[in-house]
Amino acid sequence: MINRASSIIDWIDSRTGIKAVLHEALYERVPGGARWRYVWGSTLVVAFVTQAITGIFLWMAYSPSTQTAWESVFYIQEVLPGGWLVRGIHHYMASMMVILLAIHFVQVVWDGAYRAPRELNFVLGLVLMLIVLGLSLTGYLLPWDQKGYWATNVGTELASQAPVAGGAIKKLAVGGPSYGHHTLTRFFALHAGVLPGALVAFLALHLILFRRHGLTPKQPAAGPDTMFWPDQVLKDSVAALGVLVAVLVATIYTHGAELTAPADPANNYAAARPEWYFLFLFQFLKWFPGEWEVWGAFVLPGIIVGVLFLMPWIGRSKIGHFFNVAFLVVLLGGAALLTVEAWQDDFLASGADALFDESGLEDTIENRLKLHGIEDTQENRESFIASREFLKARQDGHHNAQRVIALAKANGIPPTGALTLAYEDPYLQGPLLFKQNCSSCHNYENTETPDPHLKYLVNKKPTAPNLYGIGTRTWIEGLLHPEKIAGAHYFGYQGSPFAGEGDNTEMVDFIQECFGDDLDPEKRQEIEIAMKKIAAALSAEAQLPNQSKADEQTIAAGRALIEGGLANLVESGMSCTDCHSFGQQQDIGSPVLDGYMSRSWLMDFIRNPSAERFYGDLNDRMPSFAPHQDTRLNQLDDQSLGLIVDWLRSQWVRPSEPEDSQ
Amino acid sequence: MTESPGDQKKQESADTSADRRSFFAILSGGLAMLAPIGAGFWSFLSPLFSRAKSPQVRVALLDQVPADGLPHLFPVVADRQDAWTHYEAQKIGAVYLIRQPGENKPIALTAKCPHAGCSIGYAADEEKFKCPCHTSAFRIDGCRVNGDEEVAPRDMDSLEVETRTLENHSGESPIIEVLVTFVDYKTGHSSKIVSE
Repeated sequence: MINRASSIIDWIDSRTGIKAVLHEALYERVPGGARWRYVWGSTLVVAFVTQAITGIFLWMAYSPSTQTAWESVFYIQEVLPGGWLVRGIHHYMASMMVILLAIHFVQVVWDGAYRAPRELNFVLGLVLMLIVLGLSLTGYLLPWDQKGYWATNVGTELASQAPVAGGAIKKLAVGGPSYGHHTLTRFFALHAGVLPGALVAFLALHLILFRRHGLTPKQPAAGPDTMFWPDQVLKDSVAALGVLVAVLVATIYTHGAELTAPADPANNYAAARPEWYFLFLFQFLKWFPGEWEVWGAFVLPGIIVGVLFLMPWIGRSKIGHFFNVAFLVVLLGGAALLTVEAWQDDFLASGADALFDESGLEDTIENRLKLHGIEDTQENRESFIASREFLKARQDGHHNAQRVIALAKANGIPPTGALTLAYEDPYLQGPLLFKQNCSSCHNYENTETPDPHLKYLVNKKPTAPNLYGIGTRTWIEGLLHPEKIAGAHYFGYQGSPFAGEGDNTEMVDFIQECFGDDLDPEKRQEIEIAMKKIAAALSAEAQLPNQSKADEQTIAAGRALIEGGLANLVESGMSCTDCHSFGQQQDIGSPVLDGYMSRSWLMDFIRNPSAERFYGDLNDRMPSFAPHQDTRLNQLDDQSLGLIVDWLRSQWVRPSEPEDSQ
Repeated sequence: MTESPGDQKKQESADTSADRRSFFAILSGGLAMLAPIGAGFWSFLSPLFSRAKSPQVRVALLDQVPADGLPHLFPVVADRQDAWTHYEAQKIGAVYLIRQPGENKPIALTAKCPHAGCSIGYAADEEKFKCPCHTSAFRIDGCRVNGDEEVAPRDMDSLEVETRTLENHSGESPIIEVLVTFVDYKTGHSSKIVSE
């Protein structure tokens, strides 16, 4: 058996000379013996091979276009078996590669390994470093998520400011006047084709020159010379394994790389930051006001890279070498400081709300700064506010991403892409539209049992009712409650015509009279039960998908009360249909209670609250958002209206509850 | 052994012929490669010759812009062609409209920061525009808070606004729409330069 194997090898060797090549590759002399300090170059090669392997597998599942990039990465991350692991390794190994590059680079400069005859190999190494950074920049955009999209946008915008060719560079990178399909196809071609190809070519040259000159032995020698195989290879392999374990731990610990919400060109992601190893450049830019920007973005970085390329020649003399080492220390130290500063700027206010809630202090910026032990200066105030905004944007971004991912997992992604999921989701769009169109008057606030997953929009000085939970039994019970109806959450808002000093207080008066002061407890309870039944019957009109159904008997009883039954119970001798049209009692008055708070009732109401069916002339403030047939004349289109109404009615897809259970 | 003159001549002509053959080898090989490279660069460089459009876009109805002198953000919706995909009525950006009390025409400021192109947010409690990226701040008229000390090289870019009356109902106030010419200006310069 062994004989046969060796004869096959001999056959191949006689035709290829493979043995000599292997011998040449493995039996390199290592002066002074194998050492751990020689492993860094090899770990970089292993890191690159890891990126190539994981990259190719990602490639098999990735699709670069604006309607499929996020979608395919979502699929890799959430659905494809093992996809998250491949992507996670690719992501964390990219970071690891930057760390390894820094170590390799520092070691070469420290040891003066760039001296003659190795100058050109040093230059090749720097080229490789720039290629790796280029791979990182291009890779960041490919998931087409909010973070990568907006951070890269800043990157290409800065590139456009480069002297002379800036505009052309940007256009070529973006592939047109604005971000789109061709930005992705170009970045992908660079990331998976041009740059790795260049990297392989330069790496080959780097290794050929490395073999030609041998490694730079560290003096004094630790022992006698050995061969590359197996001693140094063993150390290299163990180091590579260590690197991979670190990457795997990070991947498994975080369950792979983050995927933020799909890129939305219309909604800026205010927490977009570059990868951590570019943060120092980001922070550096804050130092350059106005047109000095070009110095921060190009001139100084250009000079620094220029010095790096000249290091082998600067380092010919002892002083020159000292300069190089000092330069590198200052450079890395400066970059580290800037990175820490950028991080501190962003996270200055982290944990602020928890700290604040415990304190019970009044919500002022002074108090907040004091709680964090930050001196109250104008500058600190601004930093603190900026940090809070960053953290909020980050949290919102996370929230949106979770939502879109959950929707995509539950029902799949339509052909127009995941952005459609976001745009057609009342849960995501409702609060935005409400904020734009409604919240300058209305509140949306659960005053009793706040749900941390819901977005509340609190208006401290409301001039219209609180719309949280409209149409639910609880909400209608409040409307029929003698104190609540006159409170700020119902009709008692500022300047209301329907309560207090208003001109049209009939409804509030009626409810309060129902519960007159001289009622005996038994009668009061009887009326309370009647109001609950009315609430059940009215709420049934809303047909809220998210509310358990009341039993038919209660609803029937409630309907009977509305249509006249209530008059027999209360002192005023009136029921709902003395003023409102409902059921059998038509053409009485408005607002009409048939279909009260149902989807179509509410849509029509917002279209034109001054319509006869609703408040007519009694509407003293609410604009008609869509009164016209010609949609161009309306403030809100049907889609936006539907999103607001669905959100108010809590009518959105809940992926955690399978739809078929309904 | 000495070379005869004839041998020398033969040698020379062989050299020239070898030179000539090397020349043509490089030329024809180079030409062969030029075709794919040329064709590739022809398509690759095509974005350099395309120009950005600056569409006039209806942004809002005048009624939607409160006359309170404060900025209100409106999305810019226009048809957009992205390579092979045609989008109808897509949000392509956002503008702030500011309408002073009593005025019938708002001014428009683009939300794109003149520093590095991030979207500027409006902090209502401070009555200030603030960019989330490199801390540029602007007053509500779009001027930089710290003048030339500010990170941004110029004030926020104002855009041309036109109002157009759509319909005049009898007895009702007319419906007026607000149109904005949505121009993309280059970042990083102290003067407004249109991106091409």
